[in-house]
Amino acid sequence: MHTRIKELENQFNSELAEVTNLKSLEELRIKYLGRKGSITALFDEFKELPKEEKPKYGQVLNRLKNSTQNSFNEKKSLLNEKEKSQKDFIDLSLPGIKTNLGTKHILTQTLDQMKSIFKVLGFSVYEGPELESDYYNFEALNFPDDHPARDMQDTFFVNKDFLLRTHTSPVQIRLMQNKKPPLRAIMPGKVFRNEAISAKSYCLFHQLEGLVVDTDVTFAELKATVIHFVKEFFGEDIKYRFRPSFFPFTEPSAEVDIWWQPKGKEGRWLEIMGCGMVDPNVLENCGIDSEKYTGYAFGMGVERTAMRKYGIDDIRTYFDNDKRFLIQF
Amino acid sequence: MKISLNWLSDYIEFDDLSTEEIAEIITKAGLEVDEIIDNKKVYKNFVVGFVKETKKHPNADKLTVCVVNDGTEDFTVVCGAPNVQTGQKIAFAKVGAIIPNGQFEIKKAKIRGEVSTGMICSESELGISDNHEGILVLDSSLKEGTDLAKALGLDNVTFEIDLTPNRADALSHIGIARDLAASLNRPFKLPELNLQEINEESSVYAKVSIEDEEGCPRYIGKVVRNVTVKESPEWLKKKLTSIGLRPINNIVDVTNYVLHEIGQPLHAFDLDLLEGNEIVVRQAGDQKKFVTLDSKERELVTTDLMICDGNKPVAFAGIMGGENSEVTSNTKNILIESAYFNPSRIRKTAKRIGLSTDASYRFERGTDIEITIWAARRAAQLIGEIADGKVCKGELDVYPKKYQPKIVGLRFDRLNKIMGFTIEKKKVTDIIKNLGIKVTSETEEKLTAEIPAFRPDIEREIDLIEEVARINGYDNVPEIDDIKVVLEKNVDQSKYVDNLRDKLVGLGFNEIITNSLLNNERNIPFGKPISLMNPQSKEMSHLRTSLMPGALQTISNNLKVREQNLSLFEIGHTFENIGKNEVKSFDDISEKEMLLMIMTGKFNEDEWYAKSTDVSIFNLKGTVEELLHKLEVLPSVKIEYGKEVKGLKNTLVYSYKNVDICKIGQVEENLLKEYDIEQDVFAAEINIDELKKIEIKEKVFTQLLKYPKVIRDCAFVLDNKINNFEVEKTIKESSSKLLKNIKLFDIFESDSLGEGKKSLAFQLEYYDSSRTLTEEEVEKDFWNAIETVKRKLNAQLRGG
Repeated sequence: MHTRIKELENQFNSELAEVTNLKSLEELRIKYLGRKGSITALFDEFKELPKEEKPKYGQVLNRLKNSTQNSFNEKKSLLNEKEKSQKDFIDLSLPGIKTNLGTKHILTQTLDQMKSIFKVLGFSVYEGPELESDYYNFEALNFPDDHPARDMQDTFFVNKDFLLRTHTSPVQIRLMQNKKPPLRAIMPGKVFRNEAISAKSYCLFHQLEGLVVDTDVTFAELKATVIHFVKEFFGEDIKYRFRPSFFPFTEPSAEVDIWWQPKGKEGRWLEIMGCGMVDPNVLENCGIDSEKYTGYAFGMGVERTAMRKYGIDDIRTYFDNDKRFLIQF
Repeated sequence: MKISLNWLSDYIEFDDLSTEEIAEIITKAGLEVDEIIDNKKVYKNFVVGFVKETKKHPNADKLTVCVVNDGTEDFTVVCGAPNVQTGQKIAFAKVGAIIPNGQFEIKKAKIRGEVSTGMICSESELGISDNHEGILVLDSSLKEGTDLAKALGLDNVTFEIDLTPNRADALSHIGIARDLAASLNRPFKLPELNLQEINEESSVYAKVSIEDEEGCPRYIGKVVRNVTVKESPEWLKKKLTSIGLRPINNIVDVTNYVLHEIGQPLHAFDLDLLEGNEIVVRQAGDQKKFVTLDSKERELVTTDLMICDGNKPVAFAGIMGGENSEVTSNTKNILIESAYFNPSRIRKTAKRIGLSTDASYRFERGTDIEITIWAARRAAQLIGEIADGKVCKGELDVYPKKYQPKIVGLRFDRLNKIMGFTIEKKKVTDIIKNLGIKVTSETEEKLTAEIPAFRPDIEREIDLIEEVARINGYDNVPEIDDIKVVLEKNVDQSKYVDNLRDKLVGLGFNEIITNSLLNNERNIPFGKPISLMNPQSKEMSHLRTSLMPGALQTISNNLKVREQNLSLFEIGHTFENIGKNEVKSFDDISEKEMLLMIMTGKFNEDEWYAKSTDVSIFNLKGTVEELLHKLEVLPSVKIEYGKEVKGLKNTLVYSYKNVDICKIGQVEENLLKEYDIEQDVFAAEINIDELKKIEIKEKVFTQLLKYPKVIRDCAFVLDNKINNFEVEKTIKESSSKLLKNIKLFDIFESDSLGEGKKSLAFQLEYYDSSRTLTEEEVEKDFWNAIETVKRKLNAQLRGG
């Protein structure tokens, strides 16, 4: 009987291994473990055994029953799971359910990048009105009345005393008049120039200016700060130059050019920033002792900088606000 | 300003440097070379041509078929100019030439059936002048085949220099040479005067007086007699054409030459046309009109500074001469004017009459009052040489107040303090001297300089520091790698809107930036709009009083490119005049920072998981309220429904302490029509300045609820004119504080409910943070609320 038990177990196991679905598993169960199954039949034989042989086989038979039952259960749950997963088929290649993040305008993003570079250097951020007085926009900034320097900035006038600011420098004046040095601030904002609208110029643009005033602020520090910005913004390898220029509100003044080489075109120097040491007249106009304090200021246009960075060839694109443009950034 | 390198080499030697090196040195001295124009490249494939034969074009009356020889070969060329003739030497553009004016390339072509291989050019096509009346006929002595650039004196390199307005001293070849010399630390030389004068004094033939000394601090007249007005010699013509000037006659050419050599504008009068042989510098006075050299009649105002003869004005001082005293081919005797005029007076008049000339450009920036005498003599000498004139002795020099040089000191330690590094004292002194500035004394601490008249821009120590800084070179400023940062409170005035933008982006909105200038008809005025005095056009004549027009225009533009589903926002300033009259002070101006949110089109398109839905006012309401909630101001604001708002209908107005913060609504159809928008648009305008003022309570953590919530549902059938707010309010007011939330979860309208009825279904949420509620107390509260709604709003409990 031992041999038969062993054979039966082997037979069951090899047949069980062949089973691939629940239906044949059930057939297998009936064949071995059903009421007329071959393992059940062994128990019937067992009942007929003489009393003294019963203990010998009882144990073996029970083990057989348990192990086959366990194997069966295991297989059943395995097959159950398999069939369930086949029934619940999901087409995961369907598109996801849409949700949209919006976008900041590329000019805002560019300004944000610029701001963050300076904020790390400890600069505060100040704002001011766009509709300004001649005093804050020109006079306090050392633009003599009736001087050709005023031609550098074509101005929209509301009347002879009020105008649309041509730069964010009036914010510098307001700051210097309201707060004692040390000053360390940037002034982002919209400015206006009365220039014919074309691919290259628009009647308004955005600027970021900066101002530092303290007891020992130097031209060398200005150069270092500005070049740090240029490298952070355009990349460590950017080729730049720092050359003398003129602004009524700074002296000495400089302009910063970067070397620009669009693909397939000749390279050239492009102005990206004007800067200089705050003119003593401007400091004095704001009640700051120009012997004790020195300062530097810088300013740059956001539109043109972003045009270079992203290869945008028409400044008007920014203000058309075509959604296809907006969502690119 | 154009500077010719050949011409520049008359004053300073730089043979050892390449064109690019010179350009860089000049640029790094602060005189920015904007462009290097190499005419050899520009006039490549242009030669002197000889017209061998001409015949009428068989198929076109106005065209001529010419045979042009380029020294080696004959070419057939069709020419449209009336003045082409056999035997002429002409400017010939061969195949491959690029015409400077228009930048097109010459190719072999058939013109009305005749082959044409090249082009005979006019001055305008060559880009030398705007003269396009016929072809340019060259000197017959030129040999065919010669490079055109060489023949025209254009075989050199010119720089286009972009000068800053402070550098009046550099508006000439000598001015540039001076900076170049200082940068290179080498000498430059003024041309030597070698004046042959006759033994008659200028004063015998003319007199000069100044009535307006403020307008004209110095006036020099010099007489040259018996001149022959004719074409200038080649060298002079070439000098002028090399910087883009058109030669006129030997007298005018000399004045132009001296202007571009030293920067002193000159004028030559026909002395015999000056009544009384006299010059009086005075104000225009009663004279109302004046005809300038360009044959244009111009208006005068009383205070215009005029050069007059014994009777009448003969020139706008420092701007342009008059037709009535112009040098012509009949002129025999001339008076050369070399004067200094008050910059702001010249600027005022030039600006008013809208005329900017080479002369006015220089006078308004400030010329050199001391060089006037040299310039007058230099011009007289040249006119003597090339116009066979007899130069009279001496000058009529009216110079009431002699120039007193400004004395400016420079402290070495101040220089170093500003620059942040040390520049050797000797170097400082050398730079100042090389710039033509006299150093009168020098000590350990400072130097003192006498500023020459050609540097009106140098008045203060800082101006000298700048001179030293730029000539020493910005490249020599050491690159330091540490800066000082003062630790103090950091202010960020843009933080609030930066945060707003972040939230709006999270809510799925795209930011737009639109023009702040508008056509006033488009402006939606919330007050008196502010207009510009000098607008570019009617389209941009006013400052916006609202962000709405810009946003509607944006929608309109997007609809044209089939972008129909839009959620946009703009943050920007709006402007209005809140004064009684025009803007006189900041108190008259209301400049606000506003946020506009706008939604249109579909909220979502047809998708596999959902049918499309159109944007409704509730999308915008929900978004705005989420924004206000996240800004923690929602509990503080009051809502009004249906309030009148310009341009909007179905409005919701949110206010705080009786000030409107936010207005939401649907844009009115007639407004949309102006922008050709044919779909619903919903807009929310938020006043950021007011929004910022709302006090926000400091955040305190709320304990998470430990006890169960009790939820009860109910639905009412009531008149459909009663709004949801009413019902919720009634429920809230009739409940104890155990009721924490009311949520409307269904609206149902059907005839089965009865005419004009609707059903509103609510879910009520009850809890207490300190205990578990009993069934009875919730039931009591719940039914109390139901009964109140039934009674007050004449409602029935659905299914109840």
